[in-house]
Amino acid sequence: MNAKEILSHTEKYLAERLPVEKMNYASMVQKKEVPVHGLAWGYYIGGLAMFFLMVQIATGLMLLFYYQPTVSDAHASVEYITEQVPAGALVRNVHAWASSLMIGSVLVHLLTAFAMKAFEKPRELTWVTGVLLLGITFGFGFTGYLLPWHQVAVNATKIGLQTIEQIGGYLPGPMAEWPRLVKEIIQGEASVGQATLSRFFAIHVIVLPLAIFGVLGFHLVSVQLHGMSKGVDEKPRRMEKFFPTFLLKDLRVWGIAFMVLFILGVCLPFESLFAYPLFEPFDAKGSTPDGIKPEWYFFWVYYPLELLPLWVILLGSAVLALVLLATPWIFQNTNRKTLRLVAIAAGIYLLVMTLFGENIYHLFKG
Amino acid sequence: MRSNPLTACYPVLVLLALAGTSRAYPEFQRAISLSSGRTVNCAMCHVHSDGPEGNAPGQIGHLSLAEQTELGRARVAFEPNASVKSPILNAFGNHIINSLGRKQFLELRVTPGELANRLPKDSDMDGDGISDADELRAGTHPLIKSDGRPWLLFKANLSANLGQILLMLAATVLGLWGLQHLLHGFDVATRLEDDEEADEPHNSTPH
Repeated sequence: MNAKEILSHTEKYLAERLPVEKMNYASMVQKKEVPVHGLAWGYYIGGLAMFFLMVQIATGLMLLFYYQPTVSDAHASVEYITEQVPAGALVRNVHAWASSLMIGSVLVHLLTAFAMKAFEKPRELTWVTGVLLLGITFGFGFTGYLLPWHQVAVNATKIGLQTIEQIGGYLPGPMAEWPRLVKEIIQGEASVGQATLSRFFAIHVIVLPLAIFGVLGFHLVSVQLHGMSKGVDEKPRRMEKFFPTFLLKDLRVWGIAFMVLFILGVCLPFESLFAYPLFEPFDAKGSTPDGIKPEWYFFWVYYPLELLPLWVILLGSAVLALVLLATPWIFQNTNRKTLRLVAIAAGIYLLVMTLFGENIYHLFKG
Repeated sequence: MRSNPLTACYPVLVLLALAGTSRAYPEFQRAISLSSGRTVNCAMCHVHSDGPEGNAPGQIGHLSLAEQTELGRARVAFEPNASVKSPILNAFGNHIINSLGRKQFLELRVTPGELANRLPKDSDMDGDGISDADELRAGTHPLIKSDGRPWLLFKANLSANLGQILLMLAATVLGLWGLQHLLHGFDVATRLEDDEEADEPHNSTPH
């Protein structure tokens, strides 16, 4: 195959995945229809994730007016936001709850899209960008966790960064040094300190938002160009118009999500789920307090990491990442029934490890 | 002007007098941790999370002369309602001493689990809707508004903010109702426009 043919194939491949001729009001809004069937609720989850992202952007900008990204002032500025700034506690609490709800809805969106075989040709790139968005969302969670600079934040980040360094022990030759270099680049100095906080802050408020805007833009355009995937093997009960019928239903779901978020933000401080000593300012001279663990959305990998050898988790994570990225090609001939079973099994695993991971850990470790 | 040698030695004398009693009381910390199942540290009652011993702010070695005097006064407040303000205790620690007096407090070291029962039942220093006594039992901080048993906090905040929540609910429902009408309006307008466009060639055809 010569260069011209490769170029021609690439052009054809991209033209199928990005049918720009459909980029008009009639195709993307007026004539767009959404199938109605038993799994149709899955179509709303992606929009829900986007709603929480918008809340994160709005509340994040408000927090940015007062937050100080320095080790001496970070914790005090967060306390100031919570105790002195009008509605500061509400804004911060909504930001914390929406981050968890966003990650939760992205995970459910991934599972439902998988169960509905929404990655089928020509939607392969929509799926791949979705997986990238999941990675970016986890990145938001990991970098945002450090910013309040309290005991649990700094110590959990230290553990996370140490794990990156340990990967070197399993790599051959000069590659063994790479994870340490990656860790040093992220950390910025010998231990987690000002350089780390500055980098995490920059990644959290500049790098990841730019990345998410780019990838999400592609993802959304792709979804609009191709329309909703069929989702089920049987014939849909009926088709409903995207505008205004589906859009209105989507807005109602957003309204419910907004109320849930508002009630949680007003009534249940996110910090009440942890013991208070963990939220004291980080003390470099103090000992690591009990109960340090990452946020709940990392439990599915954290507790196995505590129970199994690191190489097992590394291998498992690498395989999982590759399988997720290559899902459209690996599962192209798998029927939806099997995909649903795999999605349900994965969902049960995530749920069990999130809710009972600590109990399982104590069961094995005593 | 010559200073009185006794006055000059006063801080040292106070420190010497307190040396034997300047520690936190881990019995209470242990009892709270055991009954609540939560990790607690000295910051529940003390200014410093490692307790009163040391040279950091809020610890004995860091006290000024005036603070040492205040500490001495607090140490001898054996009866309740002495209005002491010990510089090594936080507001809740001082509240315990002012409510019970040091005599009763020290007696409770034998039965530390009883401390919560002896505190005033209506006192809620952080205003989170959970009494200080209940917070002590639950191992949550009586001075941190965001720390409390999640379900209790949720109930207290829900009843305190029900008006705002109902207003927000009304605003959301009305906003959605308005949006629904706006989008339906757009839809109808677009369809009318399309119908007119479809009719136009037919109407303009000469008979």
